[in-house]
Amino acid sequence: MDPDTAIGGPRDRFPSTSHSLLEAVAEGGALPSEALDQVAAIYWKPVYKYIRYKWHKDNEEAKDLTQSFFASALEREFFQQFDAAKASFRTYLRMALDRFAANEYAAANRQKRGGAVSLAALDFDGVAAEAMQVADLQTPEAIFHREWQRQLFALAVEDLRAHCGQSGRQLQFQLFAEYDLAEGERPGYAELARRHEIPVSSVTNHLAWSRRILRTILAGRLRGVTSSAQELRAEMRELLG
Amino acid sequence: MIDLNDSILDHLRHVLDEPELSGTRYELEAEIGRGGLGVVYAAHDRELRRRVAIKVLDSTLPPVHLEEEARIIASLEHPAIVPVYDAGALPDGRAYYAMKLVSGQRLDRYLNPRLSLTERLRVIQRAGEALAFAHTRGIVHRDLKPQNIMVGSFGEVYVMDWGVEGVAGTPQFRAPEQAGREPDPRSDGYALGALLQFLLPEDAPRALRAVAAKAMSPAPEARYPDIPSFLLDLQRFQDGLAVEAFPESFWQRTGRYARRNQVLLLLLAAFVAVKFFLFFLRRL
Amino acid sequence: MNKIVTGLVFGALLGLLDGATAWFTPEARSMIAGILMGSSIKGLVVGLLSGWFARKVNSLQWGIAFGATIGLFFAFLVALQPQPSGNHYYLEIMLPGFVTGAIIGFLTQRASGPSKQTV
Repeated sequence: MDPDTAIGGPRDRFPSTSHSLLEAVAEGGALPSEALDQVAAIYWKPVYKYIRYKWHKDNEEAKDLTQSFFASALEREFFQQFDAAKASFRTYLRMALDRFAANEYAAANRQKRGGAVSLAALDFDGVAAEAMQVADLQTPEAIFHREWQRQLFALAVEDLRAHCGQSGRQLQFQLFAEYDLAEGERPGYAELARRHEIPVSSVTNHLAWSRRILRTILAGRLRGVTSSAQELRAEMRELLG
Repeated sequence: MIDLNDSILDHLRHVLDEPELSGTRYELEAEIGRGGLGVVYAAHDRELRRRVAIKVLDSTLPPVHLEEEARIIASLEHPAIVPVYDAGALPDGRAYYAMKLVSGQRLDRYLNPRLSLTERLRVIQRAGEALAFAHTRGIVHRDLKPQNIMVGSFGEVYVMDWGVEGVAGTPQFRAPEQAGREPDPRSDGYALGALLQFLLPEDAPRALRAVAAKAMSPAPEARYPDIPSFLLDLQRFQDGLAVEAFPESFWQRTGRYARRNQVLLLLLAAFVAVKFFLFFLRRL
Repeated sequence: MNKIVTGLVFGALLGLLDGATAWFTPEARSMIAGILMGSSIKGLVVGLLSGWFARKVNSLQWGIAFGATIGLFFAFLVALQPQPSGNHYYLEIMLPGFVTGAIIGFLTQRASGPSKQTV
């Protein structure tokens, strides 16, 4: 096993790699808060944008609903009722959001209950400022799906950045950022090699390494919110395919 | 947190999906298809200087397990089974097979209204022979369906995507008793019957429909005991003989005999007609 | 049964059958024994030749055509002989001869055995 793929040492550095939230629910006992955070981290943006687009809410209303949803809906019962045979967890969550928005719309119910999940750190203002450039033909469901992909990749890129920083692989991340995160036209490998004074083959290898790690990180993140190897496989396909 | 626009997001999705073939002898060319368990790419084998197909599985099973399975499947040497050249694990952990690059069409695309019944049955025969052979080696296909059968440019038939664990089969082609159980040779038999049904045109003879229905009987004991029995019944139909699956009435049997011996009956009728003609001519 | 044997057997049988129908012609009844004999021999010859042809050429159409042609030819040879009444019975002999030749040709093609050339 490539030591580079054993990310950052202890496996629980990325909480999802060893224990899925859904497995934790199945086993009983308290829901690990770290696991709940995984769910929120992946889904808060898609949920927020979905609410804004589907119900045409402004930033404040969407923020309220998003926080209420994560605060109130993400309890044991919610996860226990999930049936992997019927739909992916992602679809289940989205449908639960639909029901929540329909049932919990009353202002009185917007008060946070319990607060199992802390959403204080979420940048609602930041996401509100993001251009909501959606094509007319996109459905709210398509937007949810797309934002789920976007959020997962964003989280994974940050994880990769952290990992590279901690393991002394700043060059690898730099190359990755200059090539794979480039806006507009990408530099050629030769150009990158020249910039960093390394052989072209090294550019190829470093990029391959970064992508490999990124893939592993994504799989790890997804493992935390899927209930089986089969669902993970399907979700990876949805994410990449 | 980084903000990924659509263009960057799509690029990342694309590059992460592509298999990393560095460290192998293959050079990626292009994606050629997607199946239930993985993606198939055309690639160039640098050592043997030939084009191959590489199937990258997005399975979470350990590569060692899949390599063992690849070895078993590679041992199936049969004209209708795509030869596996190589198997291994990519640096990112995904397992892959390198196999013969078949140029042709998937059966679901090959099928068209103009395709003759003879040709449709020929495809079933070839696929069935591959299955029967594999069963003698203790290997079950598990997921036989039109998408897993290729018809090459010269009409050669290949059965692809063998015995990958974890596949529950495709509903239309899955034997009812297989839900939650490991597929066995009888489930391949059911799937072959479903495939026959899929290929039959609307005006297919009742005998053929009966063969398909028998192969797809809900009760396993009512089906053909094995693939060779199924193929034998198909061959009987093609030879104009009675099939086991379709009990004929006297008139149906007579009609079938007449169809099978049309020319002879016509000649005998001509003989009788000539005799009658001459007999009445004499009377005039 | 190989092709030659098939030709001989069915040639004789069909020749016999063909000759036997002469019984329905009152004026021919008295010569029925001779007709049966002649017809059977004619059938044997046609069958032998058809069987030989079937060994050379594997083609149902050509086999039928060959059998019909030589059946017609030998029937013509028979019909050339005038009957005691002085009449010739070309139609009554050649037409059935043509059809039985075709049947013999068909049967020899269908019989088992090697053929040199498939058309």
